[in-house]
Amino acid sequence: MARVELKNATKQYGNGQAPAVSSADLVIDEGDFVVLLGPSGCGKSTTLRMIAGLEALTSGELWFDDRLVNGDPPDRRNVGMVFQNYALYPHMTVEQNLSFGLKAARTPKAEVRQRVAEIAHLLGLDTYLGRRPKELSGGQRQRVALGRALMRRPAVFLMDEPLSNLDANLREQMRIELARLHGQLGITTVYVTHDQNEALTLADRVVVMESGKIRQCGSPAEVYGQPADTFVAGFIGSPGMNLWTAGWDDDGKSVWLGGRAVCLPRSYLPVLEDLGPSITVGIRPEHLGLFRTGADVEVVCQVEVLEQLGSHTQLHAEVELAGEDRARLVARLDAAFAVHSGEKLVLTAPSGAVHLFDAESGRRVDVDQRSLAGALVR
Amino acid sequence: MTLLEPVRQRPIALPQSDQSGPRVRRWIPSWMQRLHDSLVAYGLMLPAVAVFIVFFYIPAAYLLYISFFHWGILSSATRFVGLANFRTLFAQPLFLHSLVTSAYYTAVMIPATVLLSLGIALLLKEGLSKRRGAIWRGAVFLPHVTPVVATAIIWVWIFNPQFGLANFVLTSVHLPALGWLGSVNWALPAVMIDSLWHSLGLYVIIFLAGLASVPRDLIEVARLDGAPRHHIFRRIIWPLLSPTTFLVVLLATVNTWQAFSQIFAMTGGPHGGAGGPAYATTTDAVLIYQTAFIYFNFSLAAAMSTILFGIIMTLSLIQKWISDRVVFYR
Repeated sequence: MARVELKNATKQYGNGQAPAVSSADLVIDEGDFVVLLGPSGCGKSTTLRMIAGLEALTSGELWFDDRLVNGDPPDRRNVGMVFQNYALYPHMTVEQNLSFGLKAARTPKAEVRQRVAEIAHLLGLDTYLGRRPKELSGGQRQRVALGRALMRRPAVFLMDEPLSNLDANLREQMRIELARLHGQLGITTVYVTHDQNEALTLADRVVVMESGKIRQCGSPAEVYGQPADTFVAGFIGSPGMNLWTAGWDDDGKSVWLGGRAVCLPRSYLPVLEDLGPSITVGIRPEHLGLFRTGADVEVVCQVEVLEQLGSHTQLHAEVELAGEDRARLVARLDAAFAVHSGEKLVLTAPSGAVHLFDAESGRRVDVDQRSLAGALVR
Repeated sequence: MTLLEPVRQRPIALPQSDQSGPRVRRWIPSWMQRLHDSLVAYGLMLPAVAVFIVFFYIPAAYLLYISFFHWGILSSATRFVGLANFRTLFAQPLFLHSLVTSAYYTAVMIPATVLLSLGIALLLKEGLSKRRGAIWRGAVFLPHVTPVVATAIIWVWIFNPQFGLANFVLTSVHLPALGWLGSVNWALPAVMIDSLWHSLGLYVIIFLAGLASVPRDLIEVARLDGAPRHHIFRRIIWPLLSPTTFLVVLLATVNTWQAFSQIFAMTGGPHGGAGGPAYATTTDAVLIYQTAFIYFNFSLAAAMSTILFGIIMTLSLIQKWISDRVVFYR
């Protein structure tokens, strides 16, 4: 196990091109399961490949414990890596695939045999050792790829979208298996995915990336509950957070956003005065509802489309902001509510579910809910 | 199908006419439909097949036919002689010598072709930047698109014993000058160098395509595993390149056994006296040409061609047999 630290790490592929990874600072503690999450092209795979040594850093530093590894070739970093398409040697059997690395390192035959048996037993591959990759199912191939990466007892385990080629059921099974394996072995793991379900269920910490930059690094609860900016807020959650940017005004009883579209309690006034004439407000779809008790935030909208999803109804609506501005809204409602498209509704949410962001920078503005509650009582 | 079974039929949807009215459907028996499909398929293949029949199968069959006859181009003394032409050939030391020369030429050329073209392909792929690689790929392929006779003339000059570049290089590093095309020992190697230089471009491109098809992930996994470069090449790249190598060996074998133009251009005089000095470069193809078009013995030339065809066919089948056991197809 090793502690991995990126200090101001940058990767640029060509002069004049935008950096694939820009000034990344990240500390991955020993034994942590860290997931790099973001849309395609955000730099998460490049970051992983820099840690593996398959890409050189353009600038910055990469540390494994107290060792600077910038110039070390991949094999001297003691990392194991699982690729998206498994990258199994197609002309070799499972046993040969597993033992390739140790044989290349001229490990004694008896030790190689013992390690192969151990790993095969750990991953339930005992009966497949004589087969070639094309004779295995997707899940079995994935286990061989995991096994091969584990053969050299790596200090850091790297996985680049390892489940993306599997079907939904198998993906869920393998996810549980990966979590079990990490619990059992405790190896520092860096996992790349664009699937937030995978990220939130597997990770000790999630690193959300966009355009080569780290937007937020925190526990799954943190990135979901306190998104650092509007990108993270919109990216995490399915569907993502509703975000409305508009001017506000105070009518003496409440604070209104975008004309008469969103109504906030007056206790928000000091915060809004600090933020300026325009703000971005965010509410997650699952926090919006109809006739909620204790709700003090209201959103006026017109229903456009309803999706019946069995356990709940997903409502797509339009919010009429000041002037000609129209904004989209998604809400997840109880399936019992009878709502019709075209209908005008007032949706409610508790004030604790409201997230505020700076309209210009998109950065989160933390609001002390207790002081708000106090203000409300006053 | 028995007579009692109903005839299986399938509907044929006809294009609707512009006039409005009920859609017309015509029912035809399935055997007629199959016949129709087959006729269309054969009709589409016919132009290509016709070219093959006229320019390959008929001449090849005619060649085989001639090889069993005493056949005069102008006389009417054509008569069936059975295997006499073949018996005559195997009793001729020159023919056996030409077979040995061809075999020697092929035996040197095939490994040299594979090793050099693979080596150059690896250098082009790994050792150069993208832009420089494109320039060098063009440079390597250029000789292959240059006419054989033109390159042969250049190489004749290079191998000139008095003022050629080859001897200049040899003497400048204190090695003895060679007779090259005038020497019994060095004429065939000189032809081989020209042939290699001319043909390598094609095989380099084939190997480059093969190398491009080896997934990068596999090499990266091996690097992570700490495998040294030679181990990665021997255990991963080489096995995955085996279909490409097989293709190169097959093409090179066929081309090398049939080598004629470069030998003719480099060793031939104005009266077609190629294959010298002292028959040192007389391969099977050269002897066939001389027998047919200098000595006008078409029957013997046809018999030689049949034997050459048999040798190439046998070699190709042996290669196929080996490839089925050695080559790994993904």
